[in-house]
Amino acid sequence: MTQVTVHIPAALRGFADGASELPVEAGSVREALQRVGERHQLLVARILTRGGALRPYVNIFLDERDIRGLDGLDTAIDGARELLVVPSVAGG
Amino acid sequence: MAETLEQRLHAIRARLPEVAPEAADRQQATGAVILDVREPEETARGHPQAAYLLPRGLLETQAGTVLPDTDIPVRVLCGSGVRSLLAADTLAGMGYRDVASIAGGFEAWAAAGLPVEHPPPPAWPLSRYRRQMALPEVGEAGQRRLAGARVLVVGAGGLGSPAALYLAGAGIGTLGIVDDDRVEIDNLHRQPLHDEATVGMPKVESARAALRGRNADVAIETHALRLTARDAHALVADYDVILDCTDNFPARYALNDACVAAGRPLVQAAILRFEGQLTVIHPAAGGPCYRCLYPEPPPPELSPACGEAGVLGVVPGHLGVLQASEAIKLVLGIGEPLIGRLLCADLLTMRFRRLEVSARSDCPTCTRSQQGATAP
Repeated sequence: MTQVTVHIPAALRGFADGASELPVEAGSVREALQRVGERHQLLVARILTRGGALRPYVNIFLDERDIRGLDGLDTAIDGARELLVVPSVAGG
Repeated sequence: MAETLEQRLHAIRARLPEVAPEAADRQQATGAVILDVREPEETARGHPQAAYLLPRGLLETQAGTVLPDTDIPVRVLCGSGVRSLLAADTLAGMGYRDVASIAGGFEAWAAAGLPVEHPPPPAWPLSRYRRQMALPEVGEAGQRRLAGARVLVVGAGGLGSPAALYLAGAGIGTLGIVDDDRVEIDNLHRQPLHDEATVGMPKVESARAALRGRNADVAIETHALRLTARDAHALVADYDVILDCTDNFPARYALNDACVAAGRPLVQAAILRFEGQLTVIHPAAGGPCYRCLYPEPPPPELSPACGEAGVLGVVPGHLGVLQASEAIKLVLGIGEPLIGRLLCADLLTMRFRRLEVSARSDCPTCTRSQQGATAP
């Protein structure tokens, strides 16, 4: 288990009581989201589908690397410090 | 409902012929006139030999002087064959009896090895650009590349304003501006292309005035339309670099698909509250496209417009200037454009993260483009 800080973007903060950062203990990306979901279920529902897959308008980066190019949600935290949730936005 | 650009081009093609460059060249030898309707910055880089030069914007007022004989066959040429169709239609409406557009424009003319005339270069405005020409990455050759470049800014709002102002300042030869809105007073805190005097005006006209004031050497092409997938394909083919400064997902996906299909680099930025994202989509250079990043748009409750979410003017200001910077790098071929990288900026914490992103093997847009590229 490693402590990792989950960064919540502005688009999703309304589902996290306004928090921009949530520190959790987890071994994998999926576990980190589960820990977040224990307190902010609505937030995680915007990141993952009911089936537990990443939604098609959200990307997750572990220390600036896209988890799609690693092991997806099963990527091990393994000493990483930041989990960044990045949804698409369209404002201009 | 307003006619789209694609519908208009389709209608013109139904009533006016298009001819291949080789055919136009032969017809010129037997008495036809080749009329090049590109802007002076474009014709300065070369034009068909013995062509008449008249920018499209001056057709109605000056065609009668340049071509007093309406019976003479006129073959109209632009960069890639879109503006020439519109110009040919204008000429036909003015009474010219034998008008045709040259398919593929000057690109096709030059590619066919037909005779090209290079006018003597104008006196170079060294003083204007000397501070940026002093950079070894720019120099006089780079400044000429900027002057020869055609950049399309889609959206003349919070992102498009600073982007267009800096591109004009840098001496980009031709700037296309796309927007269908009018200037409103609550735009002014974040859209420096517009001012109190232009409230109520179409944004493209307000932008033209501001950009002309900033640099009269820049040719401004305005497109007062709300971008659709059809328009996007016709528009992007006529430019070298495209900037996505739009404020909605349908336009973003339409621009992405059109740029991937046409092989044009797309500098994309988007903002929400104090955060912004920036990337350069250039699959031809090996990067992912917008659909690779985000296969689908989010539901409306997760993507509020700036009007609902709030926006501080400096946030799109920063991102728009970064878009201009990436476009200039692409034109000059310098540095490391954000291809395969997503810059996430948080202006409240001043954290700027450069994230690695990759193409999806199942992306429908990239796959279609590759199939098109390899088709016989």
